[in-house]
Amino acid sequence: MLVKSFLVLLTLAAMSQLAVAEETPTPEGLEYCTVCHGSQLKGNANIGAPRLSGLPQWYIERQLLNFKQGIRGAHSDDDRGMEMRPMVSGLSVDELKAIAAWVAKTESDKPKATLTADSSAGKALYQSCAACHGAQGEGNKAIGAPSLTGLNDWYLVTQLNHFRLNVRGAQSADTYGQQMKAASVMVTSEQDAANLAAYITQLN
Amino acid sequence: MLNITRRQFLTYVGAAGGSSALLKANLALGLMHDDPYAGPVTVKPASSTNKPSALILGAGIAGLATAIELERAGYQVTILEASHRAGGRNLTVRHGDKIDEMGQPQICQFDKAENLYFNCGPARIPGHHRRLLHYCRALGVPLQIKANSCKLAYFHDDKAFGGKPVRQIDYHADVRGLMAELLWKSADAHQYDQLLSEDDVAKLMKFARLHGDLTEAGKYVGTERAGSTTDRMLEFPKPHAPIELKAMLDSSFWYGGLLGAELYDWCEPLMEPTGGMDGVVKGFVRHLKAKPVLHAQVKKIYNQENGVEVTYEQNGQFHTIQADYCFNNIPAYFMAGIENNFSSVYQAGLDSIKRGHLFKIAYQMKERFWEKEGIYGGISYTSDPVAQLWYPSHDIHAPKGILLGAYTWDPKVSAAFEAMTPAERLLAGAKSGEKIHPGYSKYIENGISIPWARMNHQMGCGMRMSPEDWDKYFHVLQKPEGRHFMIGDQISHHSGWQEGALASSEQALNQLNKLLSVNIDHGVNSHVS
Repeated sequence: MLVKSFLVLLTLAAMSQLAVAEETPTPEGLEYCTVCHGSQLKGNANIGAPRLSGLPQWYIERQLLNFKQGIRGAHSDDDRGMEMRPMVSGLSVDELKAIAAWVAKTESDKPKATLTADSSAGKALYQSCAACHGAQGEGNKAIGAPSLTGLNDWYLVTQLNHFRLNVRGAQSADTYGQQMKAASVMVTSEQDAANLAAYITQLN
Repeated sequence: MLNITRRQFLTYVGAAGGSSALLKANLALGLMHDDPYAGPVTVKPASSTNKPSALILGAGIAGLATAIELERAGYQVTILEASHRAGGRNLTVRHGDKIDEMGQPQICQFDKAENLYFNCGPARIPGHHRRLLHYCRALGVPLQIKANSCKLAYFHDDKAFGGKPVRQIDYHADVRGLMAELLWKSADAHQYDQLLSEDDVAKLMKFARLHGDLTEAGKYVGTERAGSTTDRMLEFPKPHAPIELKAMLDSSFWYGGLLGAELYDWCEPLMEPTGGMDGVVKGFVRHLKAKPVLHAQVKKIYNQENGVEVTYEQNGQFHTIQADYCFNNIPAYFMAGIENNFSSVYQAGLDSIKRGHLFKIAYQMKERFWEKEGIYGGISYTSDPVAQLWYPSHDIHAPKGILLGAYTWDPKVSAAFEAMTPAERLLAGAKSGEKIHPGYSKYIENGISIPWARMNHQMGCGMRMSPEDWDKYFHVLQKPEGRHFMIGDQISHHSGWQEGALASSEQALNQLNKLLSVNIDHGVNSHVS
């Protein structure tokens, strides 16, 4: 009995040490972010707030700026984006940079697959994506293509559909978004988007 | 769910027959729950040497009530609250208070005066909400009558009567008159002869005459019950000409607003705490030994073999605490963003609870102009986006007043308001108000808006579940998983009401008692002597 308790204690101690190493404190005033995006920005599908943990700093910075400038979150078919936009519209560029630096430091488990779709059909589609985003979805900063691993599959689906339906990447000020829109023309249906997202999730 | 259906039918169900039938069904259901109330659950008392600990996550009404009952039983209680204040959606704002909307916080600009406050969340208590009334009594929260309906307030619809607001008393009297006339006519045309005896048909016709104030010949020609177009004190009364039957039918019977005061939760007289609904929160906090720990955002919840471990963050510092039991009042849709080791079924149940979109506006009016129109409390209903105007029934004839300028339940309408800036919302609300009270805008001194689905740490009010999820998960969430209990109005059939929150707390504490007696039987982990 004593041995068992001791083992339990040891395990708990190990677990909590591990947990402490992973935890990045939330900077003052940014508690708002974790209300929707969750602990360590692990994401929350219930709110439509995607996982952000450990995304590249440069990519987060660009997207926050896009929200601030109304390049994202201004289209009436983008409900969740419209919810995000007021969170950053009042912040300075320096503040956005500080947020991006914090986001890049957060860590959480890679999200689990939530879709049932044809990932082998998705793999075939992914061949066009690999040129920019890399064979393993690792991304390529030099050409502005973010890594795709660690994103929620439901978020990938939403964004692929947004590119397909001119909700995202349709504005002339959105240089990278326009490139992405042009490069994703092979995604022609919701099913394509789901298949592709299912494959990308397997790269995690 | 039932409650949301009630609310939705009020605003959306156009067909009068359908809505009144539904109303009757709901009322019947509601009445069946009229069990005698014997007071809150007595939690099995702790032994004096071994005081169990309980963690309460969220200082909303369910959390506070659970805490007080556990303290009464000798538990060591810790209450963690993520926001800057206790109370959850029981929020009363006054001069200088912060309205913590995501991305666009507002500071209330009402004058600094005792009578100028606004109940942003719950605002009325019917006499049959006995759990809440028990606590008001026990915690010393003074109550006053709140007029929730006013016959001299208005109905308004751009599409009816040329968009002209109609006084509810005129409309009520005419609806009753015209419906009674139809009843009289069908009886007169022998429609009931198969069903009733000649005597009974005569009684029915007599009732129809009385009900609608009909002439001897069964005609409705207007009634003094709705007042007079002359000064009744000095002249013979002359009723207004009745609304035409066709115009009445085309007015959609105010989408059920006609029956607003007939709802069981709105049955008169209603009450409100004197000085603001947060009197309830203050009452709880005053009587609690453990004051809520503020700015404490929960990050992890782990069920363990003999308790629960919770990690929270406060001012950039992480704290981990263990307790024997955990009562969780956090909105369930946030739980997917909080690390936990719940079973997949339990987590799926939590995920099935969806955000509700209730929205309110309140204006500080420099004059209580409605009182000059004979309106002392109650509600005007409109088909405009603002849906309702509430007139305060407290501090009558005070120089100024806080008027509710919008209360919307339609998620689409609420979403449209949510997408606006606070200033845009006040403008949009003023435009609607002008249609009911010409000159409305010039009385507005300042205002606030409360989009519950955008409020920090809430992100919703009036939760929703699909009928399938309701069947599949509600009972799962009503039971503890390990030592973790979900509470809040979200775990009740009465979301958006404090009584629902208190019922969930009562239910969870009953489950705790059950768990404790099971433990006694097995001689394990018993905290009771």
